[in-house]
Formats: sequence, C-alpha cells, structure tokens
Amino acid sequence: MKKKINLWAWFWIVLGALYFLVPLYGTFDFSLHEKRGVLSFFAYQNVLMDPRFRESFTYSVLMALATIVVGLLLIVPTAYWVHLRLPQARPLIEFITLMPFVVPAIVLVFGLIRIYSGPPLAFTNSEQLTNLLLMCGYVVVAMPYTYRSVDTGLRAIDVRTLTEAAQSLGAGWFTILFRVIFPNIRAALLSGAFLTFAIVIGEFTIASLLNRPAFGPYLVYMGNNRAYEPAALAIISFALTWAAIGLIQLLSHGRSDQGQLGGMH
Amino acid sequence: MAFLELTKIRKQFGQVAAVEDFNLQVERGEFVSFLGPSGCGKTTTLRMIAGFEIPTEGQVSVDGADITNQAPNQRNVGMVFQSYALFPNMTVAQNISFGLRIRKESESAIKERVTEMLALIHLDQRGSSYPYQLSGGQQQRVALARALAIRPQVLLLDEPLSALDAKIRISLRSEIRAIQKELGITAIYVTHDQEEALSISDRIVVMSHGHMEQVGTPFEIYNFPKTAFVANFVGTLNTVEAIMVDPEKGVLKMDGIQFESASRVDGLKKGDKISIAIRPERLSFASEQRKANVVDAKIENITFLGSVVRIQVTVGKTKFNMDTFNNPFLELPKIGDVLEVTCSREAVLILDRQN
Repeated sequence: MKKKINLWAWFWIVLGALYFLVPLYGTFDFSLHEKRGVLSFFAYQNVLMDPRFRESFTYSVLMALATIVVGLLLIVPTAYWVHLRLPQARPLIEFITLMPFVVPAIVLVFGLIRIYSGPPLAFTNSEQLTNLLLMCGYVVVAMPYTYRSVDTGLRAIDVRTLTEAAQSLGAGWFTILFRVIFPNIRAALLSGAFLTFAIVIGEFTIASLLNRPAFGPYLVYMGNNRAYEPAALAIISFALTWAAIGLIQLLSHGRSDQGQLGGMH
Repeated sequence: MAFLELTKIRKQFGQVAAVEDFNLQVERGEFVSFLGPSGCGKTTTLRMIAGFEIPTEGQVSVDGADITNQAPNQRNVGMVFQSYALFPNMTVAQNISFGLRIRKESESAIKERVTEMLALIHLDQRGSSYPYQLSGGQQQRVALARALAIRPQVLLLDEPLSALDAKIRISLRSEIRAIQKELGITAIYVTHDQEEALSISDRIVVMSHGHMEQVGTPFEIYNFPKTAFVANFVGTLNTVEAIMVDPEKGVLKMDGIQFESASRVDGLKKGDKISIAIRPERLSFASEQRKANVVDAKIENITFLGSVVRIQVTVGKTKFNMDTFNNPFLELPKIGDVLEVTCSREAVLILDRQN
C-alpha cells in the first residue's frame, strides 16, 4: 500500500529546520566576511591565535572536568542510595535538584560572594579557593541535568537486584559502585558529563562575577569589542557542543541493548 | 546440631509481621523448598538467611556460627535471583569469576574454577559471551554457576525458574537438583509452584501469612496435609464440611451421607464439625467388592486435561472432582448418569476442627 505523504507534517519540519539553520548559516556566512570582498577563515584564525582564547578555553575545560568529577561523585552515590534504600525521598531530591532552575545564577553567585568573601570563610581572597567556589557553583548549576541523566540510567537497570547479587558474592559498597553500577550506567554518566561540559564552557554569570578568566566572559568580551570574531566563536562553540553530543552517541553506541533482561527468549 | 538453623525468627515491617515464629533445622546437603502464595513470607525468610533483611527477633546460624547480624557480603551464601541479576557489562566468565576476584584468589585458580563451572552448566563454549547474547535458561545457568563458584555454605534460590517458559523450567529444575546433589550443597529454594517444590525437594516448608503451615517430605505434604491450607494449596483437593459421628471408628457424616476415615485427630468428640479432604485421584467408580464409602453420584461435567480426565460429580448437594488417567480406550460415563463412586478410608483426610 502506498504511504500517504503528510504535507503539513513536512511543512512544520521544514519550517522548524529553517528556524534553526538560517540564523546558523547567517552567522557562519558573516564570520567568513572579515576581509572585504573575499570569503576567508580570517576571523577563526584571529580567534584561535588569540592567547586569551586558549587561556580561557583551557581554564574552562579544566573547570568543566573538575565539575564533572565532583558532580558525579556527589550525585551518583546519592541517586544510587535513593534508588536502593530511600525511594520515598525521591520527590525531595528531585525538588532540590530542580532548585537551580528556580534560583537564577545571579542570586547564587551573590549568595556565594556574600558568604565566602569575608571571615571566617574568605575564599575570594585566594585564587585557588575562588576557583573552588566557581567549581562548586558549576556543580549546582549543572545538577538538574546530571541528576536526571544518572536517575534515568539507574531506572534502566535493576539496581537493587544487581547490588544484592554483588553483595552475596562478597562485594563491598566501593566494588559495587565502581565495578557494577558505574559501568552499567555508562551512557547516562557520559550524557551527564557532556551536558555539564557544555554548560560550564558557555557559563558567564558566575565566572564573571567571581572574576575568573573563563570562556563565557571571554565570549561576551569579544562580542562587545569585535565584529566578526564573535560570530566565529559562536560557530566554534556550536561545533564543540555538537562534538560533545556526537561523542555521547559514539561512546554509548551498542550498549542500549544490554538491558537486565535483554536477550530473554 | 543442624547445619542451617532458623530459631524463633520473626520479621516485622511497620505494623505488619511478615514472618512469625519460624523454626527450621536444615541438614548439610539437604534441599528444602519454601512453598506458599505471594506475600506468605517465603522470600523474606530467604532474604534473612542471605542477610538482606535482619530479623526483628530470632537467630540464623550456619554450621554453628550465629550469622543473624552479619552483612550479606560477610556471609558465605550464594544466591540465585528470579531475574538472573547477571552483570550486563561482564562476560559469562567475568560474571562467574566476580566472587572469586573479590576473594583475591590467584589467576590460575580463578581460571580453573571458571572452566569447571562452565562445564558443570554445559556452557563450555560461551565464556566470552555477554548475558544479552544468551537465552533466559542459559542466563539462569550462568547465575547458578556464579553463585556456586564461590563454594558457598548455603545456596539460596529465589524463584529462579519463574521467568522461564514451561519446558525450560522443567529441564532446568532437574538440572539444578542434579548439580545440588553432585556438589552436596545445602540449598533453600523459594517457589510458589507446588509441582516444582514436590519434584525437586527433600523437604518442603509450606507457608501462609508468615507462618509455617507444615514441614515434611513431598510425599507427606501431598498425602497427609495437616491443615486445610496445605491441603488446598498443594494439589487439587475436594474439601467439605462434615460432622463427627464416631471418633473411635472414624465415622463421619457429610450431607447426611456416612463416610469412614482412617485418619485420627486427638480430642475429637461426637458431633464436632470437621473439614475432610479427598484428592480427586483417590475417588473412583465403585467395583462390586467395595463395601465402605460407596455413594451415589451424578455426573455433572467431564473435562479433558491431557493425561488426566476430570469428572465433576454431585454427591447429595456437594460437588466433587474425581480424576482418572486418560487412555484412548477409556469408557467414560455420560453427563446426567448416576453411578456409584467410592474411595478408601485412607483417602478421607480429617483436616481440622471447626469448633
């Protein structure tokens, strides 16, 4: 039977695609026009050769990695324990992890500055401690995404039975977490990690108000002072985000069919 | 002293007592099944042996050592779960060796044990497969091998065959029993399937509402149920109310019809209300020699159940099921016929007093 083509469906798909792609193309096209009359990657060259780009990008990448590690170490055991022993606490935990959506980053950072800029916790006097403060802020901002990724991963496996199976074989909590739970929610962990990465790389408010040389403030600085380079930076940031999503797909490929009862027949 | 002992075990969840006054002694190498409906406390009791639940009261001991409050990973107990619980990220060999690596056994010892276990479950060639590449039956065999690899003192099996189809269930239960006998390991098996429990166990503990109803061999449980619950839960049964006429001679009346029973219950008096039970296969059409327990029965319905034909009859106002083996030359009565039906005195079981 010949399948009927739904023209309206295609119309909305094309309209949606244009809504995203036209501005992207416009930005890309604009970024190539730094030299009058010729198309060139001169703006990209300028950006990539700029030492502040490399410094701010390296700084943000390191902050992102630290945020991912601390965030996962905080959230995975919490979400695991909630699944295993405290299912009744799930609504409360979900509410707490949603707080960053309700409390804006500006409120968070002013709260951090107010508490940690004077004795007895004068963290902002030290560069390293301010970095720590920034990283903690990032952990909070990324928490809704990380928690949901981990929670989805844990829902996909039989946490309780796998834990009990490992316990009956003599495993302690550390072994259970690192050899049984973590490997089986790998895709969820990667998803949470890359979402955190994407958020940290572009974050402006907290980094700017804590006066740290992060990539977000650099993007804004460029936007305020240059014409073509911000467009090039936007395309670079976009490519990085897409690369992160591609990596999630690549690294989690082929694992989705290994469910607990997968292959039962 | 028994190898595994559960003494005065009680487990309470909030206001609900899941298990109460549970006492059991299991000998080394014995295969004991906990049989009962959902919510009867069988899995909770098993989990207390495994250490996943701590008894509210009572003691669990293995080989003389009190393990009541020991953490699950400190007990040497192997467990097989209904959902297999194989680690999806590990191969079959890695799953089997998991417990051995935690015990820090040498690589050569681990390799040898894994090979031995794979041979035991007839999956020699599947060591490098992942669980999702195996069938349900194969996965459960791997789960069994993984539990046995650590040489546990007690093997616990929590409805291990429930997720499998009927044919595999039957073949795998024989395999489990054969492996248990070969290794001489003490095993506790939880099931709600009476046929499974009857076919596999040395002894069965029938449970209901957190209580032990009866403990005995499959033969005892099936043929001499002590309570109405056991009689009804294990096998198909006709249970009817009757009145004791002569406790000495075992004479009783049901619907005004006199029956004789060989079973004796202490303390019964003339006029006591009692429950009697007769297995459908113990009823038959009367031959001329039979004198006792011969009653007129009207044929109500006939159902073919494969190897068995179930005939529903009415005696007085009471309905009975009687089973007879099917064969192609079987001469069956017609519906509406009135025929004499009989059973031996031994087939009439007195279950419990009504008042």
